[in-house]
Amino acid sequence: MDKLLSLFTASGIYNISAGQAFMIVIGLLLLFLAIRKNFEPLLLVPIGFGGILANIPEAGLAFSAVENALHFAKPEVLTGLAAALGVDSADPQALLHAYKAASHTAHTAATDVALDAGYNNGMLYNFYLVAIASGAAPLVIFMGVGAMTDFGPLLANPKTLFLGAAAQFGIFATIMGAVALTMLGVMDFSIQDAAAIGIIGGADGPTAIYVASLLAPHLLGAIAVAAYSYMALVPLIQPPIMRLLTTESERKIKMTQLRHVSKTEKVLFPLVLLILVALLLPDAAPLLGMFCFGNLMRECGVVDRLSDTAQNALINIVTIFLGLSVGSKLSADKFLDLETLGILVLGVVAFGIGTACGVLMAKLMNKLEGGNAINPLIGSAGVSAVPMAARVSNKLGLEANPQNFLLMHAMGPNVAGVIGSAVAAGVMIKFVG
Amino acid sequence: MDNLLSEGLNLLVFGMGFVFVFLTLLVISTGVMSKLVNKYVPAPAPKPQRSRSSAKVQSANAGANNDELIAVMTAAVHKYRS
Repeated sequence: MDKLLSLFTASGIYNISAGQAFMIVIGLLLLFLAIRKNFEPLLLVPIGFGGILANIPEAGLAFSAVENALHFAKPEVLTGLAAALGVDSADPQALLHAYKAASHTAHTAATDVALDAGYNNGMLYNFYLVAIASGAAPLVIFMGVGAMTDFGPLLANPKTLFLGAAAQFGIFATIMGAVALTMLGVMDFSIQDAAAIGIIGGADGPTAIYVASLLAPHLLGAIAVAAYSYMALVPLIQPPIMRLLTTESERKIKMTQLRHVSKTEKVLFPLVLLILVALLLPDAAPLLGMFCFGNLMRECGVVDRLSDTAQNALINIVTIFLGLSVGSKLSADKFLDLETLGILVLGVVAFGIGTACGVLMAKLMNKLEGGNAINPLIGSAGVSAVPMAARVSNKLGLEANPQNFLLMHAMGPNVAGVIGSAVAAGVMIKFVG
Repeated sequence: MDNLLSEGLNLLVFGMGFVFVFLTLLVISTGVMSKLVNKYVPAPAPKPQRSRSSAKVQSANAGANNDELIAVMTAAVHKYRS
């Protein structure tokens, strides 16, 4: 009978908390959206599943060794941890706080105590350490994105880079939104948190994860989920804004065929970009460096095998681990928070402002060029989200004029948006990192 | 609190300003690079262009159709790739 009782007290049914149950439901919801509604399934399936795994009671898959030790709270381990962390009380809650604020040395000491006592890092926590905390996964994905990107449309019409710049205003406007919420006392964000939330407006998953992992790791789960869900919602969020800001006749503007771009130009472009980054903004070097490297592999034509791996096998492998790691941040104690709600709201605002600024910039450029050269619809593609945003521009163009194919024209601002958000990320890491 | 606001404003002004400066420089340097490349390493005239210039007599309609076809095909390729 005792055995049976101990089996029951170790079961999930006995231990599950309301928060965990709720988060498992959220995980199932993400899976539903991915599988039935086809929202960014490549990411939401691993994220949703990771979220469910992270909330299995007692398994502690998303916890570090120390957090697991604190959860089971054996007195002798607790005193050891208290000594390692330099805290007087052996209360698990107080220890958890001290652990989170601990310096690297104290952190290592506490980890050693927990490992000696026989506790281990959870599986998802290890994935998180390798993939995200090290910064590796977003950068490898960026390399793959570089290898998939064709800069031809951008090189044919470099002025579209300005659209990519304008759309980044969403990022910085959202920072002010987060600051305002803090000033009003509704939320409590530091400037680092605000910057990490703003980057959602860049509509670029890997960039958002990279910035969040550097500036605000505790908000990573909410930021990644917001960034990827809004990227999936681009076809719903953008069109109303685009229709509102353009007139019927503007949407009908047909753009001239892009000029031919030679192979030499395509090979040289990533190198020009890299030199510019090296000279002006070394903080963006990890992101844009990997991006340029991937693109050079694609365009130089002598390492097709590497380019093929970077844009297919490698990016897929990394996506699996990135998704699971992000899912591990969906554990109840880290995600169920008023702040998460604030992040979701601010994220969609960031997206909307970015779209609007891109369209307005395109209208301005169109006016400057005589009113019949640039279709403002391509401006919205300035919020990266490759290639979804460009497809939305194309679709609205076709609606206004069935003969109007804007896709290639929109790809220019679209890849410009990737560069723009990486530059914005570099600036923010430099200023508040 | 005021500190946070001023930090936010700083980030807004300098961040946005820097993004524009960087991309403006990128526009300029890309333009210069393209000019130099086209001047010193003139690409072997790409096939579609040559055929168009040699067969200018062909109706303009065919050219437009060709452009459309290219646009449709790129759209299809992109859809397939992603």
